Amino acid sequence: MREYWKAFVDFFVSLRLTVALLALSIVLIFWATLAQVQLGVWGVQAKFFQTFFVLAKIPGTQIPVPVFPGGYFIGGLLLINLVAAHINRFKFTWRKAGIQLTHIGLIILLIGELLTGLWQEEYQMRLDEGETKNYSESYRDNELAIIDTTKANYDDVVAIPDSRLDRGAEIQYPKLPFRVVVRDYYPNAALQMRSQVPNAPESLATAGIGPRIATTPLPLTYKQNERNLAAAYVELIGPEGTLGTWLVSTQLLMPQSFEYAGRTWALSLRFARNYKPFSLKLIDFSHDVYAGTDIPKNFSSRIKLTTVDGQDDREVLIYMNNPLRYAGLTFYQAGFDNDDRTTVLQVVHNPSWVLPYISCGLMSIGLLLQFGLSLVGFNRKHRAAA
Amino acid sequence: MRLRHASLTALFGCLLITGCRKAEVTSYRVPKEAPPAMPGMGSTDMASTAVTTAQGHDLEWQAPSNWVAQPASAMRRGSYRITSNDGHSAELSITAFPGDVGGDLANINRWRDQLQLTPLSPAELPGAYTVTQTGEFDFKLVDLTNPDATEPQQTLAAFITFEGNTWFFKLTGAVGVVTAEKPAFLEFLKTVKGHVH
Repeated sequence: MREYWKAFVDFFVSLRLTVALLALSIVLIFWATLAQVQLGVWGVQAKFFQTFFVLAKIPGTQIPVPVFPGGYFIGGLLLINLVAAHINRFKFTWRKAGIQLTHIGLIILLIGELLTGLWQEEYQMRLDEGETKNYSESYRDNELAIIDTTKANYDDVVAIPDSRLDRGAEIQYPKLPFRVVVRDYYPNAALQMRSQVPNAPESLATAGIGPRIATTPLPLTYKQNERNLAAAYVELIGPEGTLGTWLVSTQLLMPQSFEYAGRTWALSLRFARNYKPFSLKLIDFSHDVYAGTDIPKNFSSRIKLTTVDGQDDREVLIYMNNPLRYAGLTFYQAGFDNDDRTTVLQVVHNPSWVLPYISCGLMSIGLLLQFGLSLVGFNRKHRAAA
Repeated sequence: MRLRHASLTALFGCLLITGCRKAEVTSYRVPKEAPPAMPGMGSTDMASTAVTTAQGHDLEWQAPSNWVAQPASAMRRGSYRITSNDGHSAELSITAFPGDVGGDLANINRWRDQLQLTPLSPAELPGAYTVTQTGEFDFKLVDLTNPDATEPQQTLAAFITFEGNTWFFKLTGAVGVVTAEKPAFLEFLKTVKGHVH
């Protein structure tokens, strides 16, 4: 048992492992850089870095198999390797304090990167002038929202993430009086009026607007300025049988409503929402240009921030490099639209944002200390020789 | 051999962690919200919609002041909400699609279906609508109600063909509201003009 433990420890503290992992990370980064042409930055992050293994499908099948270690795997092992080496091998001495401090900085950087990958959330909030919102929307993820709209003052929402909407998936949720069966799901699709596509296959939809629309699956886009617009056919099945099959899509902005069990329901596929305990109202968006030119000088959003409990009710100005930081979220001025009447804010939640700063500080101090001590030692020897 | 054991243990651990992430269905209660706004066509971060609606010249109209304009959507050229004093409401949607969108019978039967009315046969079509002349256009007008429904709804729909597209002006809502607004709706149709750029 002791021998086994020793072999285990030797493996994790070995410099050979460090070199092997660094070599693997070079290959991974090189591969991911090439793949970025097809996949774009978000696709590459998900496929190569925020994963334990790079997966590829067996040709001719949909079965994914791991083909190369991913970012979490290499980074995780590097972290274990570095920490284990410190615990097992390094002894604190002033002469080596600089290098140890640098290593601690590196450890914090790796941990920070892992936590950012796990915890960071990026959403956007689009606000028209005069509009108030208490939620932000995902850039990439969608959700099927089934909303009980019966009551006059509030809606009861059941949100099913798009990762659950595989073809054939069945979702039973206690708050829904029916089952949701996904008849088909397209991560990206074009919708056209059926009259425009004479040869379109028969629609799966039997209710709502779906029977009038032809759906054409499109390849996924990974371009920075494009967005995949998902569509799905979902059938709702109550205890007494089917209620119908609806076409839902992020392109159909108005939810489709129907009556069931004495209640009014609305159905829509929308960008995944993240609700907040406070709301933002866009009072005014400004797009200033340098006098006599069309060159942008400044974009700013004058926002009214209001909390549910009334504790906060104030105006804030968000502009380039001056985000609003509130409740663990950062709201950046990200874009504008609609002839300068709509602002687009990027909403970022990253609890570990401070770790890279600490890490860089420690590494800078460590390197200064290390080189400083070497310089002092060199000078001393040089003077003694003279 | 031992090295392999150790690396296999690490690999197994990583695989276990990878398999643990699964998105969950959530539920929550939110205050009612206004209908969604239409994403601007000049947006740099939203792909434009691929729904095919009518191309070509637009129509123009003048809505009564008590009709509250709603944000348009990918499918709608215009949208208004009318609310009565007792809290009942109706909605006017203005849409335009290329061609005849399946023909008059299919369109009328779709609206009948929405009110749980039985579909009409082709022979019944001539009596299913009236024609309202406004000077520039001859609107086909359909007025549908299902008195047997638990909450009776009424649909007042007018449609015309303009430059190869069919334009629908459809007022739907509580019977009382739609009936009360019918004169205003007919007056509104007179304000619809072909717009030439």
